[in-house]
Amino acid sequence: MGAMEGLMQGIQVAFSWQGILFVLIGVVAGTLIGMMPGLGPISAIAIMIPITYGMDPSVALVMMAGVYYGAVFGGSTSSILLNAPGISGTVATSFDGYPMAQRGEAGKALAIAAISSFVGGTVSVVLLMLFAPALSAVAVSFGPPQYFALMFLGLTAIASLSDGSTIKALITATVGFMVATIGIDGQTGTSRFTFGNPNLLEGIDFLVIALGLFALAEICFLVKKRKDQSLQNQGDIGSLKLSKADFKEMRGPMSRQSFLGFILGVLPGAGATIASFIGYISEKKIAKNPKKFGKGSIKGLSAPETANNAATSGAFVPLLSLGIPGSGTTAVMLGAFLVLGIQPGPLLMADRPEVFWGIIASMYIGNIFLLILNLPLIPYIAKILKIARPMLISLVAIFSLIGVYAISFSTFDLYLLLIFGFVGYLMRLFSFPAAPFILAFILGGMMEQSLRQSLTAAGGDMMILISDPVSIGLYIVSILSFVVPIIRNRKNTQAEEADQESNAS
Amino acid sequence: MLKTLNQKVSIFLILFAAGYLYLTYNLKEYPYVPVDSDFVPKILGYLLIILAVFLFFDKSSETEEEKEKRQVPKKEMLVLLAVGGMIFLYIFLLEIIGFVLSSMLFIIACSWFLGYRKLVTTFLVAVLFPLIMYLSFNYLLQIRLPQGVLPF
Repeated sequence: MGAMEGLMQGIQVAFSWQGILFVLIGVVAGTLIGMMPGLGPISAIAIMIPITYGMDPSVALVMMAGVYYGAVFGGSTSSILLNAPGISGTVATSFDGYPMAQRGEAGKALAIAAISSFVGGTVSVVLLMLFAPALSAVAVSFGPPQYFALMFLGLTAIASLSDGSTIKALITATVGFMVATIGIDGQTGTSRFTFGNPNLLEGIDFLVIALGLFALAEICFLVKKRKDQSLQNQGDIGSLKLSKADFKEMRGPMSRQSFLGFILGVLPGAGATIASFIGYISEKKIAKNPKKFGKGSIKGLSAPETANNAATSGAFVPLLSLGIPGSGTTAVMLGAFLVLGIQPGPLLMADRPEVFWGIIASMYIGNIFLLILNLPLIPYIAKILKIARPMLISLVAIFSLIGVYAISFSTFDLYLLLIFGFVGYLMRLFSFPAAPFILAFILGGMMEQSLRQSLTAAGGDMMILISDPVSIGLYIVSILSFVVPIIRNRKNTQAEEADQESNAS
Repeated sequence: MLKTLNQKVSIFLILFAAGYLYLTYNLKEYPYVPVDSDFVPKILGYLLIILAVFLFFDKSSETEEEKEKRQVPKKEMLVLLAVGGMIFLYIFLLEIIGFVLSSMLFIIACSWFLGYRKLVTTFLVAVLFPLIMYLSFNYLLQIRLPQGVLPF
């Protein structure tokens, strides 16, 4: 089936009244949740999953995609208005967005963010439409060894690219993988690490991990900051209008960062956070007067916003065409697919074209919604930030608990959720990143399966893993993804030391 | 002996990995499978030990920001424990008295405990939020939340 024909079918799904309604619900709910302090796309998707049970899978996934980019947009809103980025992907937005809001131009900043997001999102959806089918066509020939190598790359990339210590990221990934081994082993039927508890036989549900490590752990921080009143005093948002000169300034960053952001989003491990930072830095480097950056520059706001939305769609390329998530957020998204009985991967486009193309087509609508609906509604939606912290804490707790209960109907999972909330809190206290954990947990089962399938097929010969150019190439990239940052860090610290020495003398 | 935080965490991780490996070596073996179920867990256990050793010798000190984040006053710790206890109680009561009643109690107790003093708002939210959630889950989404002692 050609891309046009597929897209037509997708448009039928996305433009049905159900499709439009649920994209709208998804985008608005995502914006609401993403705007709340600490709750990012991972929590937003995880909280919304129970709502999709029993829904038509294509409509449900169209909604989840809406939640995803709605949450990214919501995060930028709180970055701009309060200098309180909901997620790391919008930290760079606050560099110039918040100064602009302080000048009384919050409305203008929000409009720039929305238009940049729209452009970034739309351009990258077009790219997604072109690249995802091409990648699926290549991936159809992949066997278990290549899949194993791909997932290995995904894990090492997220570990080396996540903020903070690489060794800590690797440790969390390993522990996440270990948690994934709990339950009945699919190939031999041995029950592993269940301690005779029948509730653990099927393994731990990914929602328990996602909501525990992200939403509940975040509650602990909200409890600590409950007396913080800063969210209450937001001023008037001001006019949303942009002048022609403003548009002219935005044009450069928008066109460049749409492509750069998309590419970074496709790469495993990179994602919205890195795309937004690289977008910001690269625009600052080529700007005529870089001194304006950090003081409310239009370019400085437009660049990260374009990039993070472009990366959001870019991240769908490996997810849809390979079935392999490249980041914590897409890992949870994969969980949402699996809950609905859809296995993304190279066969998705052939088997369930309405899902594949429906999601892509819905992204066009979703982006339009973000622009024309969310933007005028922002002054009202922003009121959610005024919800008192104690109330917010209780409500988020109930949402997380019910989200888990609605899939397992057992209180055992709820106690587990509480435990993982505590673990997530400890991880944050000691600066262990949580995203590698969730990615490793979701990839873990798939990785073990493909590893053992490859080895079983080869009669236990390890060489099968490095017997073809695709796998070897992927391993080389994984190793590079480690070595390059380490060498660069060394060089940077050496340069800094040299700097300090020259300053001291 | 254990000077840095990294070293303490590292020891904990090594002990955790050792416990995990112990369980792994006690897994049932199948004679005719080329790759048995303990293959991957063994790799993971040893990998974690190696990584923990690296962490032990990791010299990078914490940034000020990280240190500040880790400082939790004792009083706050108690507050956190209390909230954890309330969630525990909520889970315990969920299937006994039902979703609506336990959520009402939880919202009132938790918000009051954390210092929210607007009674009217609290009660409005505590009544409306669980009811709307319950009705929409049960009747719109067809997901039965615990009914408990209420007749609907």
